[in-house]
Amino acid sequence: MSTLAQKPPGSFGGYDAHQDHSAQAQKRADKWMIPGTLLMGTGILGIIGFPLFLWGLRLQVNAAKAGLSVRPVIVTLIGYLVIIDSTLNSAGWMMDLVANHTLINRLITAGWGAVFDGGYFWHYNEIWVGGTGAPGEKAWQISLIMVVFCGRMAAGIGLLQMKRWGQQWLIVFCWMGLIVWIGYNLNMTFYGDVRYANITFPVWGWWIYDIFYITPFLAIPYLHTVNREIFSD
Amino acid sequence: MNTSTAESLPLGTTAHYATMHKWLQRALLVCLTVLVLEASFTLPGLLIWFGWPTLSLVQVCDELMKVRYSDDNAQCLVPQPLFIASEGQAYKKSAQDDWGIQPRPRYKRIGYRDLVRFRDERLAREAAAAQHRGQLVPASADTTPAEPASPTH
Repeated sequence: MSTLAQKPPGSFGGYDAHQDHSAQAQKRADKWMIPGTLLMGTGILGIIGFPLFLWGLRLQVNAAKAGLSVRPVIVTLIGYLVIIDSTLNSAGWMMDLVANHTLINRLITAGWGAVFDGGYFWHYNEIWVGGTGAPGEKAWQISLIMVVFCGRMAAGIGLLQMKRWGQQWLIVFCWMGLIVWIGYNLNMTFYGDVRYANITFPVWGWWIYDIFYITPFLAIPYLHTVNREIFSD
Repeated sequence: MNTSTAESLPLGTTAHYATMHKWLQRALLVCLTVLVLEASFTLPGLLIWFGWPTLSLVQVCDELMKVRYSDDNAQCLVPQPLFIASEGQAYKKSAQDDWGIQPRPRYKRIGYRDLVRFRDERLAREAAAAQHRGQLVPASADTTPAEPASPTH
């Protein structure tokens, strides 16, 4: 551990030591939160990843209480949560896109469709690429995975590194979420019979799932009102 | 009244937005928790809803296919052979829909453990049909041995 005595002459002494200690504390916390996030991004292993993430968050909060300069908790939450949001969406849609005839996909995706969203049950695995046959759904999958979720994950990583570009690009990709929600929900509404007729929990069941993906909308007011000087160029 | 000072505020948060940031952080924690719980328990929850462990995973997949295509013969090929047509191609004609510019499916709604019930009912139907056929077959078979007895007349 660096101390003032170990610092070479000409350094900023206590300031450099504080910076070193802060960076180490942040890294120690991220070492728990990164694997936690990777596990949470898989979906089913999230229950294992969640405690790892919370432990890392606790380390970070304790470091802040000890006077070290670590990320604000809300930046950590936004950064990791937009990554989890993107990976969960991407993982589910990639299974539908390229692994649609696997047993696991036919159980979780077509099964989820039968209960919450008929777009993933109605004539499922019938079009030539397989997967959902709901009008418009494939186009949403491909465009959102390739444009929105990839970009949002990259921006989330930049934000977690406290980079200015991370904050700026996350604003861009979170605003894209507005188009995603309005477009996707209108598509579902206009083909409401395909999506909701004769499934187990129509409309409200889908909303119970969907409403917790509002992270981008929670991020927007913060990203616009935070003092941007805390993010480095 | 907000009595917090600049020193007690998180980095980057000004006093003017402190309350909003505090509530945003709480909402983010709620979202994280619920997302994790939803994502973790969706597959086991669905399987239990459908009928596992009474039904095996492949049987659940089979029953979902039969409901989706309203066809008792529909089944999941596990593993699905590579480079063949999508599985639905074989059954699409049996699927029940009201066709129009906005099609409406007419498959059965799947309630709690309904796939077990659907399977039991189908097996009962098939057994009854087999028994019915069996009654017809022995009836004709019975006539055969009866004929050799006729020479006593």
